[in-house]
This record gives sequence, structure tokens and C-alpha cells, in this order.
Amino acid sequence: MSTWSKAVIAILLAATVAVAGCAGEALAQNDLKIMAPAAPGGGWNQTARAMQQALVAEGLAKSVQVYNVTGAGGSVGIAQFVTTSKGDPHQLMVNGLVMVGALLANRSPVTLDQTTPIARLTAEALVIVVPASSSIKNAQELAAAVKADVAKVTWAGGSAGGVDHITAALFVEKAGGDPSKVNYIPFSGGGESLAAVLGGKVTAGISGWGEYEGQIKAGKLRAIGVTSAQRLPGNDTPTLREQGVDLVIANWRSVVAPPGITPEQRADLIALIERMAKSSAWLDLLKQKGWEDDLLAGDAFAAFLREEQTRVKAVLTSIGLIKP
Amino acid sequence: MDALLPLAHGMAVALQPANLLYALIGVFLGTAVGVLPGIGPALTVALLLPVTYKLDPGGSLIMFAGIYYGGMYGGSTTAILINTPGESASMATALEGNKMAKAGRGGPALATAAIGSFVAGTIATLGLAFLAPWLVEIAVKFGPEDYFALMCLAFVTVSATFGDSPVRGLTSLFVGLVLGLIGIDKLTGQARLTFGVPELLDGVEVTTLAVGLFAVGEALYVASRRRHEPEQLEKVRGSLWMTREDWRRSWKPWLRGALFGFPIGALPAGGAEIPTFLSYAVERRLCQYPDEFGKGAIEGVAGPEAANNASAAGTLAPLLTLGLPTSATAAMMLAGFQQYGLNPGPLLFAERPDLVWGLIASLFIANGMLLVLNLPLVGLWVRLLAIPQPWLYAGILVFATMGTIAAKPSVVELTMLAAFGVLGFLMRRYDYPIAPVVVGLILGPVAESQLRRALSISLGDPMVLVQSPFAATLLALALLALIAPFVLKGLSRFRAEED
Amino acid sequence: MTPDRRTLLRFDPAGLVVACLLLAVAAVIWWDTEALRITSVYGVGPKAIPYAIAAGLVLLAIGNLVIAVSGAAPARESIDPMAVLLILAGLAALIALIAFGGGFIPAAAILFAATSTAFGRRAPLTDLAIGAALGLVIFLLFDKVLTLALPEGPIERLL
Repeated sequence: MSTWSKAVIAILLAATVAVAGCAGEALAQNDLKIMAPAAPGGGWNQTARAMQQALVAEGLAKSVQVYNVTGAGGSVGIAQFVTTSKGDPHQLMVNGLVMVGALLANRSPVTLDQTTPIARLTAEALVIVVPASSSIKNAQELAAAVKADVAKVTWAGGSAGGVDHITAALFVEKAGGDPSKVNYIPFSGGGESLAAVLGGKVTAGISGWGEYEGQIKAGKLRAIGVTSAQRLPGNDTPTLREQGVDLVIANWRSVVAPPGITPEQRADLIALIERMAKSSAWLDLLKQKGWEDDLLAGDAFAAFLREEQTRVKAVLTSIGLIKP
Repeated sequence: MDALLPLAHGMAVALQPANLLYALIGVFLGTAVGVLPGIGPALTVALLLPVTYKLDPGGSLIMFAGIYYGGMYGGSTTAILINTPGESASMATALEGNKMAKAGRGGPALATAAIGSFVAGTIATLGLAFLAPWLVEIAVKFGPEDYFALMCLAFVTVSATFGDSPVRGLTSLFVGLVLGLIGIDKLTGQARLTFGVPELLDGVEVTTLAVGLFAVGEALYVASRRRHEPEQLEKVRGSLWMTREDWRRSWKPWLRGALFGFPIGALPAGGAEIPTFLSYAVERRLCQYPDEFGKGAIEGVAGPEAANNASAAGTLAPLLTLGLPTSATAAMMLAGFQQYGLNPGPLLFAERPDLVWGLIASLFIANGMLLVLNLPLVGLWVRLLAIPQPWLYAGILVFATMGTIAAKPSVVELTMLAAFGVLGFLMRRYDYPIAPVVVGLILGPVAESQLRRALSISLGDPMVLVQSPFAATLLALALLALIAPFVLKGLSRFRAEED
Repeated sequence: MTPDRRTLLRFDPAGLVVACLLLAVAAVIWWDTEALRITSVYGVGPKAIPYAIAAGLVLLAIGNLVIAVSGAAPARESIDPMAVLLILAGLAALIALIAFGGGFIPAAAILFAATSTAFGRRAPLTDLAIGAALGLVIFLLFDKVLTLALPEGPIERLL
């Protein structure tokens, strides 16, 4: 071995030691594995990591490993989950409303019906905003503009067929317009749509409350309505419903188990997640991240999941994103 | 200046001995991981982020800044020495840098990259400190039509990487455009060219393509020709250090690179690739020794590398003021900031000035530390090439596959890596340039989405594409860049005939 | 190459192959785009750009063909096909091992040994050992310390 290859190995080893010193000891044997079917950084990943933190902090699991399987709104992740984790009661997967839409739009052969529903954990209300300079002041005026000419009202939001798109289509429908004519401009995640709204390039923008919060408080954007049933705590933005637009939708996130587990294993997992979701560690994390607690477990959640699948399918069909 | 006092305060904090040590460790770790082939800055930051959690917020922020700059520089090192850019933004660096390394001038190439990174990083960080809010006001006015015009300009500049034959260059570019079609159409959510493979729905990963074409393709190519040129790399000759001539030829590209990188990086959809290629194209035009381009011109390393670092600081402008992560690395940084309780957005500068200025001061320190650590190490990095060829390339391939699995753990991704390697090998063998493929993959989808967004907002009226002053200017520039070479050629022929 | 063969080959066969490939890709794009059923309501739909790119490919196929027939084949050194095949076999082995749960370390060892053999070393066992050691260091560093999930097999589970 030449001097220099030795040097390179020495550097590698030195880095190992240095990093090991900083990062602490390696992971111990695992009890539970949670799949986040999206890239690190997104909402599902954060939910999975928060679950990991709460489960370990409360001593509900000896150790929890989170892994990411990215691709197509969770279509790749769920396909892997139902095949490789089948019958394994130590596996969980985070999912949400976005996955319902993505599976339909991608004509995925795997559906959420093949998983074992455990619980819905959080929900985030959406907000419709216009630039501060816009002449539109409230939801009725926006509805009137939609009714006058649906094409001229341009919407900015996240990916096609996602929760923002669904909300725009539902708004147009409730305002008396044709949802298949909604002029929705999808932007990549991470708030590129925010720049389009701030720059006055579009009529209105839709996103989770958290993503626009700073700009709304700074007076650069005007929030004209939230999509929750009641006003958000500590926030006087009126709901769409109280302004006469009967639209309630939330970007919920939930957790499911693989198919093929026994009813006892399912009951155990539901009990475990319920205990986690009621723990102070979890509630603190929710507060820290600004998420709304929206726990719904077991059979009630399974029924909710079916309802949402039907609703999303109807909306995507009305937009023309899926053919009946 | 109301910015100076808080900056001075931030500096005072960052200059404490413990924090300087954290900066040094951060730069070292960032460089050590970033230098592995196939591992770009985004992955480096992602991997090393947890290391910083153990420290207090001030120390962790400064170590984080160090990792960030170290990762960026590490990526350039592999691009120069073994033609293996860890990310698309250091591809332009690889073009001339690797030629320099093969000619035994790896030392000056690494030095000009390090100093250029430092100079441009400092300029851009200053720009960030004093211009960020103002710059962002302009940046958000950039609409889809303006981005489309910017892409047109970028497409024209790609031709600088075409080599001798425009047909071959365009062929490469179109291969990239075809790869860019693969995946879900962003505007209608339908799958194009995915053939029912779910892993293809998100499109071809730029890193996989770049690492496949450059690292795997290079290994295959060198192996196939081993019988002809048993020792392809020339031994390091001459000084490891830059000569007076190198300095003279480098300083202007550094400054120009910073001027391209920072503003384009600050655009919410600007990115780092476009400024590096603009810089490469401009340096090629302005160079006093145009013949050296393609054979290892130092300007072709100094400019793009400066542009790369400046654009990285530029992406912090929308990140800090709007909370918009505009690149993969920026998205990782956002995750990092949130760990420190920094919530980037318009109120950040008003509500947490200490953290913002602490970060900016950390960037200055980390940038300086990069120079302190890496200039003495240039000699060591160059000696990497002295590893026996079989082990060097075997190691490159192991790291390249590992980086690919790390970014996207799937067998489909590895298969694509191998396929792109074969493509890179065949293109090298039959004289098709490689860089345009990656550029096509990056620019094609963006240009398409922005064009269609603009036309959707205007309800199909194409006039929208030239009505904005930004767009009109950029399109005029693109047209000028397209026509100028022909006009100049015509003029010189005209003059020659007169003689 | 004998003189008469050179006169026969008045064109570059590689250019001919490239032209055919470009046409084939254009046809695939055309076929795939035809199948798209949803078009945007406003502006340009999802089909326009693929058609434009397919058209561009056809033009480039013609361009490559012209270059191929207008000049004689440039001199290209013969290559060492064994070296290329060895590296590709190494990559294929790596992919297969990872696909069937063999784990990262043995996969890295095989790729390392195959590549260094392709580059002319004749010590496959030593190189297997070096590759395994490298794989082990990478696995410990990235999977254990930096918690990056690398593929696990029987060996990795013992660690």
C-alpha cells in the first residue's frame, strides 16, 4: 500500500473518530420502524421524527428508527410498505391527505385500503391569501370574481392534484363556477408559490397557514379566509364558512400499519399511538411546530379515511385530473 | 449603516476561541465528507447536521456554516482532481479544472478555486448583509415569463460547452432534454415517459445523472484505454501554488463570477447552475488565451467556482427574508435553522437580529477558515492522484454508488447510475460532449414549466413573454449572445478580405 | 485496417447508429405523448414540448447522418472490452446483491475488486479484502454514526 492510500485511510479513520465523538453512541437495537414516504424536510418526515421523539421520550418504545422512501407523493413508499412490511407489527408509515390524491392521480396499483389504518394525528388548516395590493378584500369578493370569469382568477399553490389544488377546485365549485375550468398554477414545494403571490403574478394563493404566516403578519399578504370549521386559536382571520362559502378542508396527517397483522396487534398499535398522542411530550412538540392536534383512532379513523378517499376522487374527477 | 453595529456584535461572538475551533472542525468535517465522490454539499450538510445539535446555538450555527462551506469546497476538489462533480453546480468547474489537473496543474486549480470561493463568498456575504431585503423585493417581482427568458439566455450560453461540433453538442443537449421529460408533468400531474415504473415518477435525479456520466463514465473510459495510455495522469509538476501569471488571470473571473452568482442565486428559482455556466461562457469569450479553453484554462476554474460560492450565499437571501429554500442545500439549511429556533421569514431580521447577524458573521468566519484549512491541504488533495489507478477508480466507484444509495435508496436508481455510466462512456468514445446532457436535464423542465405557467396566467397570450422589462432585456441578451459570434466571424472575414 | 476496407467505409458507422437511436427515441416520445389524455385548459398543454423535442431529435438525426456520411470514420483507438465488461459486471453484481438483501459491504467489496482488476491489478483476493474494509469503514461511518440507512445484509446486521 502506498503512503498516500494510507494517508487517505487515516483521514477516513480520523473523520470517523471525530464524528463519533460529536454524535454520541450509535443507535441501539430497534423496536419500531416508521417510514416517512417523502424526502427529509417535508411534513411527513417531520411527523415521523416527532413521533420518534415522543415515543422514546415517553418510554413507549425502546427505540424508534425513521427511514425515508421518496417518490411521487408517497406512491413509491406505500408500494414498498405493503409488500416488504406485510404482517410486521413493528412497522408504521406516516401518510396524509396528499397521498390520497397522489395515489389516485398516479393511478397507483396500491391503495390505502391495503394498509391497516391506525390513527389520524394532526391537521393543518389552509389559508387563502391575496397580495396586499389586491382589490379583493374577502371571500365573497373572491367568489364574485370567480363567478364573473373563472379563467381570470389565477391560483398559485403546490403540486397538481395536491391539497391546495383540491381546495381551489372546491372553492370554485362552491362559488358557482365550473371546477374543470379552474386556472390553477402549480409550483414546486418549498413556497415558490409564495413568491408568485407576493409579486402579484396571480390572483390568489393557497397553502398551509404556517407557510404564509410570516408574510401575513408582515402585512405583505392579506388572508381572506381559513378552511377550518372554527377560527384558529389566537388568530382573527375569518373562516370561509362564516363568509358564506361552505368549504371545510384540512391537510391531515395520519399513521397506518402494514396489511396482514392480527386484530390484537392492531389493537396494541392503536393503544400505543393513542397513548403517544395524549402524552405531554407529543403535545409539546405540536405546540412547537404549530400543528393542530386532531386525534382520531381506530375504526373512526378507518371510516374517515374512506370518506376522504371518496371526496378526493370526486374532486379530482371534477377538475379533470382523473378520468372516471 | 444600521447593519454594521449588529454585524460587529455577531463577529465578536463568532471570534471567540471556542467558536473558531468549532468553525475549524466544521470546515474539516464538511471537506472530508464533501470530498468523497458522488456526495454533494446538500447530502454533506444533511449527514453532518445532527453533529451540530450537541452544541450551544452559537457554536452549532458556526459549525454548521463551516460544514456548509467545507462541503461546497470538497465537491469542487473531486470535480477538479478526478472529474467527478458531486453536484451539478461544480460541473463547470470540472470542465477546465480536470484538464488542468491532468496537465499536472491540479495545485493552482485547487488554489484558485479556494481563493475564488473565499473572495466571492465574502463579496456575496457582504451583499447578503446589506442588500438582502432590497434584493428580495426585486426578486419576487420576477414572474414565470422572466424565468423563461432567463432560461433562454442560459440555453444560449450552454453552447460554450459544446466543443467543436454544434450538431454533436445539440445532440447531447437533447439527450438531457429527453431525460428531463421523464416523470410527472408538473402542471397537469400526468406521468410522461415513465413506462409504469413508479421510481421514475419523480423524474431523473440530477445527481445520479451527473455522477453516472462523469464518475462512472470516466472510470469505464479510462479502463478501456488503459492499454494505450497506461499512465494517463501527469505527475504534479511545477509549483503547487499559483504563479504571478495565475493571479493575474484569476482575479477578474473571481469578481465577475461573484457578480453572476449572487443576484441569480438570490432569485427564488435561480439556482446555482445557471450562474456557473454563464460565468464559464463569459470567461471563454473574454479570455486572452481562447485556445487554452478545453485544455485547462485557469479562468474556467476561477470564474465558475466563484459564481458557485456566491450563488450559495445568494440563496440565503430568499431563505432568510422569505423563508424560501431555493436549492436542496438551502432546504437542508432551513431544517438546520429551525433546530435553532430560527424561523426564516420577513420578520426574522426584525425579531431575531442577534441570530441573523450571528449567522452572517459565522459565514464570514467559516469562509476564512476554509482558506486557512484548505490552502495548506492543497498538496495533500493533489496527492490523492498518486493513489494507484486501480484503487483510485475502484474507490471512486464504491463512493459513487454509496452516494447514490444515500440520496435515494432504490435498486432502480443504481441501475440508472450504471446506465448513465455506459452512456457517458459511449459519449466520450464517440466525441459527444457530456456537460450539455446535465444542463438539458436541469434547464429543460424549468423552462417548460415557467413557459406554461406564464401562458396559463395570460390565458394563452404569447405577448406576455416579452411584455415585462426583465424578460425583454434577457431575451435581447440571449439573442445578442446567439448572433454575436456569427457577426464577429463575418466581420473578421470581411476585414481579412479587405487586407 | 486494410486500404480497401477504408475505401469501403466512406462513412462513420457510429454516426449512423446515433442517428437511428435518435429516431427511435423520437418515436418513443411520440408514442408516449399520444397516450396523454389530460390537456391544460389554458395556455400550452403537456404535449407541446415533448412533440417539439421529438421534432428536434429528428432534425438532429439528419444532422448526425450528414456528418457521418460526409467524412470518413475518424481514427479511434481500439478499446479493451474486457475492462469495460469487468466493471459493468462489478456494478451488476453490486445491484443484484443489494436487490436480494446481500448488504452493502460485500457489494462494495466485489465492485472494488472487479474495478481494480479491470485496471490491470492481478490480486483479486487482496482487493476483495481492501474493498470489504472500505465498505466496512463507510458503513460504520455513515450508517452507524451519521444514521444514514445503507442496505443491510447478514454481515451488516451483526454490526
